[in-house]
Amino acid sequence: MNETISRGAGGRGWRRALPQLFAAALLLGGAALAIPAAWMPAKAALAQVLLERNFEANLATGHNHRPWPWADISASARLTVDRLGVSDIVLSGASGEAMAFGPAEFPTRQHGRLKLLAAHRDSHFAWMRKLKVGDRIELEGVDGFTTQYEVTRMETVEWDRFAVPAQLHRETLVLATCYPFDASGPGPLRRIAIAERIA
Amino acid sequence: MRRMVNPPAPDRFLLTLLIGLFFASLAWTGALHAEEPEPREGGLMLKAKGSTTQVPAVRLGTDIKAEVSGQVARVTVTQAFRNTSDEWMEATYLYPLPDNGAVDTLRMVVGERIIIGRIKPREEARQIYEEAMESGKKAGLVEQFRPNMFRNSVANIGPGETVLVQIEFQAPVEQVEGRYSLRVPLVVGPRYIPPHTLTTAAAAKIAQAMTAPVADPSISDGLNPVSISVALAPGFEPVDIESPYHSVAITRTALTASVTLDKGEVPANRDFVLHWGAKGEVPQLGLFRQTYEGKDYVMATLTPPAVAQVAKLPPREMIFVIDNSGSMAGESMEAASKSLVYALTTLRAVDRFNIIRFDDTMTMLFSDAVTAGPQNIAKGRRYAESLRGEGGTEMLPALRAALRDSDPHGNRLRQIIFLTDGNLSNERAMMAEIKSSLGRSRVFMVGIGSAPNTHLMRRMAEAGRGTFTHVGQDSEAIGEMRRMLGRLAKPVVTELSVNVEGSPLDLTPAILPDLYAGEPLVLLGSTDRLRGKMTVSGMAGGKRWSTTLDLARAQESPSIARLWARRKISDIEAQRWSYQIDAEDADAKVETLGMAFHIVTDRTSLVAVDETPSRPEGQRLTREELPLLLPAGWDFDHLFGQQMAARHAAPDAASEEQEQIDLPRGSLDYRMALLQGLLLVVLGLALLLWRRWMRFA
Repeated sequence: MNETISRGAGGRGWRRALPQLFAAALLLGGAALAIPAAWMPAKAALAQVLLERNFEANLATGHNHRPWPWADISASARLTVDRLGVSDIVLSGASGEAMAFGPAEFPTRQHGRLKLLAAHRDSHFAWMRKLKVGDRIELEGVDGFTTQYEVTRMETVEWDRFAVPAQLHRETLVLATCYPFDASGPGPLRRIAIAERIA
Repeated sequence: MRRMVNPPAPDRFLLTLLIGLFFASLAWTGALHAEEPEPREGGLMLKAKGSTTQVPAVRLGTDIKAEVSGQVARVTVTQAFRNTSDEWMEATYLYPLPDNGAVDTLRMVVGERIIIGRIKPREEARQIYEEAMESGKKAGLVEQFRPNMFRNSVANIGPGETVLVQIEFQAPVEQVEGRYSLRVPLVVGPRYIPPHTLTTAAAAKIAQAMTAPVADPSISDGLNPVSISVALAPGFEPVDIESPYHSVAITRTALTASVTLDKGEVPANRDFVLHWGAKGEVPQLGLFRQTYEGKDYVMATLTPPAVAQVAKLPPREMIFVIDNSGSMAGESMEAASKSLVYALTTLRAVDRFNIIRFDDTMTMLFSDAVTAGPQNIAKGRRYAESLRGEGGTEMLPALRAALRDSDPHGNRLRQIIFLTDGNLSNERAMMAEIKSSLGRSRVFMVGIGSAPNTHLMRRMAEAGRGTFTHVGQDSEAIGEMRRMLGRLAKPVVTELSVNVEGSPLDLTPAILPDLYAGEPLVLLGSTDRLRGKMTVSGMAGGKRWSTTLDLARAQESPSIARLWARRKISDIEAQRWSYQIDAEDADAKVETLGMAFHIVTDRTSLVAVDETPSRPEGQRLTREELPLLLPAGWDFDHLFGQQMAARHAAPDAASEEQEQIDLPRGSLDYRMALLQGLLLVVLGLALLLWRRWMRFA
């Protein structure tokens, strides 16, 4: 009698534990996927806060400080689009890594006449989907000097099929991000905005 | 029973939170599109000059004559610039030379006159050239842009006129595994200019100078033809002469051979390579001397003793130091991880190993080196595969940890292998660390990626008595890694030292590496008076090994002093990059050497001016940059097709030269993972809740 009861209880316990184990596995698996994924936008937002402070410090002292002690990058400008309520700190030291923290400035051959800024479509440049021709973009450098640009063209191009005239007549700002905005994986298309200096 | 009365409040809270999160993430993710094809990694690449479909007015023909005597090749390159237009032209052409070559002669032939170039400090040479150009005189200029890249300019070539520009250089013959080889590079590939180097206007200017337009296939037929001939007098009977990339005709006598191109002329689109071997035993010749301006110079080639003499490879202790800083993120990290995983497979059970990774922090996989058993190897492998590039670069602690040797007098071969892109700081401290605590360890630097700091890495490897290998990315990495590890497995002579009785010799390299099978070591030295004997000794297979060379029996060779100077200059460059001397100091030293040995360097150029003015005043001078042929195997459409497409995209600028810019990848792509993760969490919690509910019901 006793044996039967205990066996029955054991079987029931096991059967009861199974869905719980399954639920635990689901929770753990979900967390393993979601936490690193959630960390990316969190990092992007957090970095902007630190970079904002770094930018103010750079502006005040005229030196480039590191935003956090182990950073390979520093804040080089503040990008604002008033119509869209955008204010992002732009980074120098462009690399895939820098783009995790903010829009990054990539060096171009026509240094001074052509600025190329790139950021992720799903973090700092998410607003590019709303950007349109005629929008004003302001870029404030660490020297305190502000340059105004007006968007003259929006294009969608493949990443290796984009060119600008080798001799630019006006100072030009190119913003680039991935396209389409809602795609889930990396693709060859880039959305670019070309803006010319107006002041 | 009581539970039923008091329903668990936290669960209800959780449920609400979850449902909220779920819908929030749905809204956030938006519509999800199908997966798109994986792009090539979108680094930023500038192709500065693009392509040209215009047939140049100035045509170029090149003739190359190489004379190999002993272990030195002296090469004469004659470039004929023929002006087919009716205008006065200036032409410039960018061309490659071997890394260790020293250009010492420039001759310009105008009609009947031969003008000999003089060596001048770089800016002065440029100024002399430009003044001559302004005043209508013919002038030629040879400038160096990289140790292996030069530019010839010729000013004031009259309509229908041909000007010959002749340069001469010498380079040591390469010797690997008993085979000798001569490589004459013929074309500069369209260069990848690493964008992060283009941060100053000066750097952009240099990048501009280092690139040239590439000829469109529609005009490349018959453009830039080259004829090549090689006179081989190696001092022994050359056998198995072969040219892997060109078909050649060989005529020979007992001890010499003469090699010419079968077809006479070829387009300058691939490097010319000639291999040869020696009949029978590889001769032990390898001592050359020259007296130049009161000093004696010597070049010695140390050939390792035959492998048969060497006992089995002693057990090794291999310390892998892998850089996982932010600059390595992406392809470089992948290549480094793969290389490391491959290296682990080459370990034997008797070997020991450890892995150290560093960014701005560091971790040692094991507290001390462990035996290379299957478990440890598997652990190392998993570790290597888990590394991601993030954070800053602080190499010094990792270097210290790697050099810490728990058994400094053991008989294991201790080899430290660094895998890094060389994006390093505090070079001075690192050099000091290697010098002070190297002990029995050997440091091997593996440069990963497209822009490793080669100077510094070469320097560190030299100080660490090891070698520097540059492995690129992708598939190339494993091949290079395999070759390097193969070499490392066969050290023949260790603890090498050189003693000279007689006058002291200033040798370079100053710190001698080990000798590996099939790889002779070339030493260059200078002294006031060369005499006495040179004894080279070391440990071979656990026994003392030594060989003595009688310096008096060195063969005369007119190239040794300049090869020594070239080598000295690369030492100075390395010191500059490791901040052992400052830039001005280095420039001054390079300039002094360039002037003293009459060779083209970064700081000195050869300039020739024909004093007779030729271009009448008032006539216009047109500058033309001669297009390069694309190296064989490169796909023109692939490289430049995008430019055409870009022109369609920007019609307002169609007539202008276009600058192609690669756009970096701009997506984090976290939403999908976040959505899936949250979905799983929702399901899990729902299951739990359902269970609870069932129990209460």
